[in-house]
Amino acid sequence: MKLGKFPPWLALLMPAIVLLAAVVLVPLVLSFYSSFTSYKLTKPDTLYNWIGTFNYQKAAGDIYFWTAFGRTVLLLTVALNLEMVLGLGLALMVSKVTRGQRLLRTMMMFPMMFSPILVGFQFKFIFNDNVGLVNNTLQSLGLTTTAIPWLVDAHLAMFSIISAEIWTSTSVFAILILAGLYAMPQDPLEAAKVDGCTPLQSFRFVTLPFLMPFIYIAMAIRSLDVARAYDIVQIMTNGGPARRTELLWTLIGRTGYVDAKMGYANAMGYISILLAIFFTVYFFRKLTAARAELGMAL
Amino acid sequence: MAQVHLRNLIKAYGALQVVHAINLDIADGEFVVLVGPSGCGKSTTLRMIAGLEDISGGEIAIGERVVNDLPPRDRNISMVFQNYALYPHMTVRENLGFSLKIAKRPQADIDVAVNKAADILSLTPLMDRRPAALSGGQRQRVAMGRAIVRHPEVFLFDEPLSNLDAKLRTQMRVEIKKLHQRLGSTIVYVTHDQVEAMTLADRIVIMRDGHIEQVGTPIEVFDNPVNTFVATFIGSPPMNLLEGRVDQGAVVLTDGSRLPIPPRYTAAQGAAVTYGIRADNIMPVGHALPAGDHIATVDMAVTLSEPLGTETLLFAELAGTEVQAKMLNPRPVRGRETMTFQIALDKCHLFDAATGSALRRA
Amino acid sequence: MASNQSHRMRRRGLKIAHFIGLFLAMSVICIPGLWIVLNSFRPTVEIMAKPPVWIPNDLNLDHYRAMFGAVGEGGVPVLTYFRNSLIISVTSTVIAILIGMAGGYAFARYRFKGKAAIFIALMVTRAVPGVALSLPLFIIYARVGLIDTHIGMIVTYVAMNVPFTIWLIDGFFRQVPRELAEAAEIDGCTRWQAFWRVEFPVARSGIASAGIFAFLTSWNEYALASQLTRSVTSKTMPVGLLDFTSEFTLNWGGMCALAVLMIIPALVLTFLVQKHLIAGLTFGGVKG
Ligand SMILES: Nc1ncnc2c1ncn2[C@@H]1O[C@H](COP(=O)(O)OP(=O)(O)O)[C@@H](O)[C@H]1O
Ligand SMILES: [Mg+2]
Repeated sequence: MKLGKFPPWLALLMPAIVLLAAVVLVPLVLSFYSSFTSYKLTKPDTLYNWIGTFNYQKAAGDIYFWTAFGRTVLLLTVALNLEMVLGLGLALMVSKVTRGQRLLRTMMMFPMMFSPILVGFQFKFIFNDNVGLVNNTLQSLGLTTTAIPWLVDAHLAMFSIISAEIWTSTSVFAILILAGLYAMPQDPLEAAKVDGCTPLQSFRFVTLPFLMPFIYIAMAIRSLDVARAYDIVQIMTNGGPARRTELLWTLIGRTGYVDAKMGYANAMGYISILLAIFFTVYFFRKLTAARAELGMAL
Repeated sequence: MAQVHLRNLIKAYGALQVVHAINLDIADGEFVVLVGPSGCGKSTTLRMIAGLEDISGGEIAIGERVVNDLPPRDRNISMVFQNYALYPHMTVRENLGFSLKIAKRPQADIDVAVNKAADILSLTPLMDRRPAALSGGQRQRVAMGRAIVRHPEVFLFDEPLSNLDAKLRTQMRVEIKKLHQRLGSTIVYVTHDQVEAMTLADRIVIMRDGHIEQVGTPIEVFDNPVNTFVATFIGSPPMNLLEGRVDQGAVVLTDGSRLPIPPRYTAAQGAAVTYGIRADNIMPVGHALPAGDHIATVDMAVTLSEPLGTETLLFAELAGTEVQAKMLNPRPVRGRETMTFQIALDKCHLFDAATGSALRRA
Repeated sequence: MASNQSHRMRRRGLKIAHFIGLFLAMSVICIPGLWIVLNSFRPTVEIMAKPPVWIPNDLNLDHYRAMFGAVGEGGVPVLTYFRNSLIISVTSTVIAILIGMAGGYAFARYRFKGKAAIFIALMVTRAVPGVALSLPLFIIYARVGLIDTHIGMIVTYVAMNVPFTIWLIDGFFRQVPRELAEAAEIDGCTRWQAFWRVEFPVARSGIASAGIFAFLTSWNEYALASQLTRSVTSKTMPVGLLDFTSEFTLNWGGMCALAVLMIIPALVLTFLVQKHLIAGLTFGGVKG
């Protein structure tokens, strides 16, 4: 395959590189530049008004920003870990089923087909304090008589958001871990049994290490997609009430579009990008290491 | 039909050179086997002939044509891969006919050629199966069938039998040999198994670390190895090698025992040499040695015996080195029993201890 | 004997716990979806009833009728949104798969310097949150006139999907032994023919599953679409969902009807390839 004077691999990668440069890199450079200006959407001229690192200093001293930052990291950590544990449990349960496994697998993938924005609306309604499914159920069962303010109370709102996030994304973990369980060779398990391991020990020392790469893939995929949570949060609470569920993304969106302070929003955006990149690189590293341990070439 | 010529053929991966300027002329219709330990550059050489690897230096000619820059499809060759490389999404029939289909031959011709190949290799009942539904031996035959359908000038085989069990391997070895007699085409065959090389080859090419060590008929390389590497690589069990020093027509081993210099060899007084004896040529007294006028005797303590049925392999010790010997009329051997052995000197070898090269008389 | 009996009891207990656990999990997974489907057939008064009406006594197609009615109350140009979504998602998926195949093939088949670094760099572009990207992208698209166009959305979604597609397809091609293409070349193929006649068909099911992921991502994406589309010329269904909201109210029934319309194609597609999906992900991710 003679493709110009490039080496063939470069020619093959060219379309991807060019496209990503145009659609991701250039905007990022622009946003990086604009984060040093006082750019306001409503006043295009301000794009040329260089103000140095003012926006970054402002962000560094902005208590709202840091609260949102901390809350985002917390949300990601809690959600990713819970999704992993629940996904593991779900995959184990499904893998032990002898009949109807195909049906269960298909059902398991159900939430992946839902647009995050739809999930946002769906859970906003489910957790509605007046007519939501959750309160209706609790009241009908006589467990409570009051309308629990799921989306208003700060802690409950975070809980609701995390529930929605877990509902959509646990299946990614479950499917990948299930794939791992299917791919797992049986002899080590049998050897462990003969060696006198209890089921719990064989899980801990044989099954789990084998599943690790699958878990890291799921983590890597999810970390590529963490911002899905933005749609959900934006619809469910939009950071409110009174910034009690403010995440980086909602804060950026509001600052940029509602308050029209693009420069400042981009400065904060940059920090959130670094956060996302950190998560991604971290899990890809883990993945490579786990693969190497299992003797799979990268 | 065609000859193959390799002239100063070099392959380098960056700074790492894995084939060092080798020269080889393969005659039309010849069955040549490249043999050597794993990693010595056999596959690389074969793949350069096929056009699957770029050539870093030198020249390859097939027939009268230099093919250095021709892609594989223009070299009129076919190849059987170690893992067969059958197309998993095609049936056996489609696998066999693929090359002709690519060449846009009429369907009728394709059918004839495919059926003929299937007939030769007894694949006819399997024609509509996919490779996944075939046993190892059947896959191997499909891979060979795919190669013969094209009527190439040269067949290339890269360890085609190494994934088969021992019994099947012997069987397929015979089939490949028959196939060669029937088709009469040039074959370059790579293996690390010296038995395969010995049984199949018209000529054997022994390679080590990207160099050709020796080229010759199986009997030549067995009887006259040019160095200790070839001596130990060809033949089973490997030739026994004993270190010593030349002293007045004999080799003095480290424990002081003396073995006469084999008649075909010369060595300078005092030279450090390696004495080579195959197990077939050292036997306890009373067991028929191969014919020859020169016989020496030596006493050795037998540490272990391995009955193989028609013969028994004896592990003995001489000058601190383990020596394998054979016993043709097996009898039980007690541990560390000392026996007197006879050596057929006409069949023994002498090598330079430093370089490993044979010290043959000119 | 006694220990045998207690073992049997325990196994029975475990079985029951397993069943209950699975039942609960599947309920949690399915109920929100089924609830949407149910609500799309119920009149708004019943959805909003207090105390709740658990057993629906009036199922009808009013929301669908209103939705397709396009004008009047609850009229949303749903078919246009559907068409926009379909054009944008299908086109961007096809292009992303083509680009992803080229890139994945390069990673799977060639050795080159800086491979790991280039790979991670490509992946990282996917990790940039849509909302952070939408601001500068909006500015650029506004300049070059790509705001509110199909092309603009297609280009964006292709870029969004290419990294993950490359990753998966790279994995699939690694699963295809190099020797297959070599055998094809010896059988008379050019590199190009060897790819399309041998390597591509063998990796096909994996590539299809990568396609599903790309499609679902485009089909469901909201953050970028909400900024880069303005009107019915390019608005997609996720953005269209917001047409059912106004300052203080939310037409939940109508929204559910549109949601059902959104889910059906995704459901059908996923159903068609669900067999390949798990295999695809395993090979693509791990063994790659
Ligand atoms: N792509 C490559 N890059 C670097 N070294 C290679 C490559 N392919 C093969 N080699 C090296 O070349 C040598 C010869 O390999 P090969 O021809 O496959 O040996 P064999 O005789 O077992 O078939 C080996 O040492 C191998 O490590
Ligand atoms: Mg080899």
